[in-house]
Amino acid sequence: MMAAILRRPAPLCALISFAVILAVWQAAVDFGFVKAFFISSPSRVAFELVRQVKNGELAANLSVTLYEFIIGLAFAVLIGGLLGLLASWSETVQHILDPFIWFKYSSPTIAFYPMFVAWLGLGEATIIVMAFLFAVTPIYANTLSGIKNTDPDLIRAAISFGARRHDLFFKVSLPASAPILIAGLRLAVGRALTGVVAAELFGAAAGLGYSMSYYGQKLRTTEMMASLIVIIILGVIFTQALAALEARVGAWRTGPGR
Amino acid sequence: MTEKATQGRLEISDLSITYRKPRSDEVFTAVEGVSLTIEKGSFVTIVGSSGCGKSTLLLAMAGLIPKASGAIALDGQEVTKPGPDRAMVFQDASLLPWRTVHGNVRFALELQRWKRDDIDERAMRYVRMVGLGAFADYHPHQLSGGMRQRVNIARALCVDPDVLLMDEPFGALDAQTREVMCDELLRIWERDKKTAIFVTHAIDEAIFLGDRVVVMGRNPGHIRDVIEIDLPRPRTNAMLDSPAFVDYRRRLREYIAADLAALQMVEAIV
Repeated sequence: MMAAILRRPAPLCALISFAVILAVWQAAVDFGFVKAFFISSPSRVAFELVRQVKNGELAANLSVTLYEFIIGLAFAVLIGGLLGLLASWSETVQHILDPFIWFKYSSPTIAFYPMFVAWLGLGEATIIVMAFLFAVTPIYANTLSGIKNTDPDLIRAAISFGARRHDLFFKVSLPASAPILIAGLRLAVGRALTGVVAAELFGAAAGLGYSMSYYGQKLRTTEMMASLIVIIILGVIFTQALAALEARVGAWRTGPGR
Repeated sequence: MTEKATQGRLEISDLSITYRKPRSDEVFTAVEGVSLTIEKGSFVTIVGSSGCGKSTLLLAMAGLIPKASGAIALDGQEVTKPGPDRAMVFQDASLLPWRTVHGNVRFALELQRWKRDDIDERAMRYVRMVGLGAFADYHPHQLSGGMRQRVNIARALCVDPDVLLMDEPFGALDAQTREVMCDELLRIWERDKKTAIFVTHAIDEAIFLGDRVVVMGRNPGHIRDVIEIDLPRPRTNAMLDSPAFVDYRRRLREYIAADLAALQMVEAIV
């Protein structure tokens, strides 16, 4: 019977393994193997989520986290994209930016957190900056490599038909690198969410990360897990949406040959 | 056609082209002292072993690379940059992979700022002319190599150039497809007889297509001979075995063989 299940398509297998985990979790608590105090249980988390939806707690935290996430990501896209474009056009700009990108790549972004707390204080501004810092690197790197590495054959063909600079950018480089730009955005979305939640854990007055650390300190596992579940769901929705967009934009890349 | 079709006379005089090797001051001479006049409406093919500067010469005619000295004039006008009077057919990979067949042909019209209202229809007319009417909505990766080159030809012709410049357009195709494409190219060319310049390393292709075959040699690239091809048009595959064709083929082979032998001697000395 096991073999028959394993021959099923992947989504079904995933669904089954997920259900098994939930059942074992629930049973372990219900039959008293582990205390609910330590790991809560699926049913308790579900009831807690319903409670938080009804009393508006979830909406309040979710809106704060989403707001910080969107503003941080927007700055990352604007500034990372702009710097990436400038660097792709001018080697000088690229070399000027190189050391900073290097530092950024080789150090854990969260290490910058205390510095921004000192400058901007605990709360919204610092959290947005952390989201920005987490997200900006893939946006910059993918914009730079996408635009800069446009197939020179395509550029030459366009020039032979009299393409001007803006034609080359809008009609060749930009569409040619669209799949790489979207891939950068997908990475940035995941990282911006990481940045927001991490910063909220350490110092905030509202938000999903704040909620987790607040209930965590009070050892209220169920409430903490409710926020964790929402964060996971957010991450899955964002990544899946961008993966779908990526597949659509890059459809011409699949198939044999070019 | 109108007055435009009577243009397209190229005059190259004492042309030299040099490259600076990257990251050094060494200068490499790709083409030296080339003089050649190409009459309007004629089909000229350029052959030579690889490295003889034939593609470089063509790119200079397109205005894509600068001249070191000498001149290229199209109907008396000096060629310094790409212009709507010339269109280029490249090897395989120059189609935009995210655009359809129709979109790729339309691309050239967009770049040359053709009037919006008839741009789609004109692109479609040229897609049909190269026999791809049923494939207008296909993307390049869904096409065979021969079909992709048809798109390249349609893209070059749709902008109505005076001179058609072709850089080994069939170089990546198999032998059978090549023959079909040569027939097709001549069929299309016969319609309005634009000046055509076709670079190839295939001797048969050069004789079959050309009114004249320009033979180039290397070190540095120069013209060794220009052979008039006195075969009637339209050309047919039966001519490939005619005594005249065989004789042209033998003469051209001798040139190329001599060039390669000279190269091997140089390599032996070095």
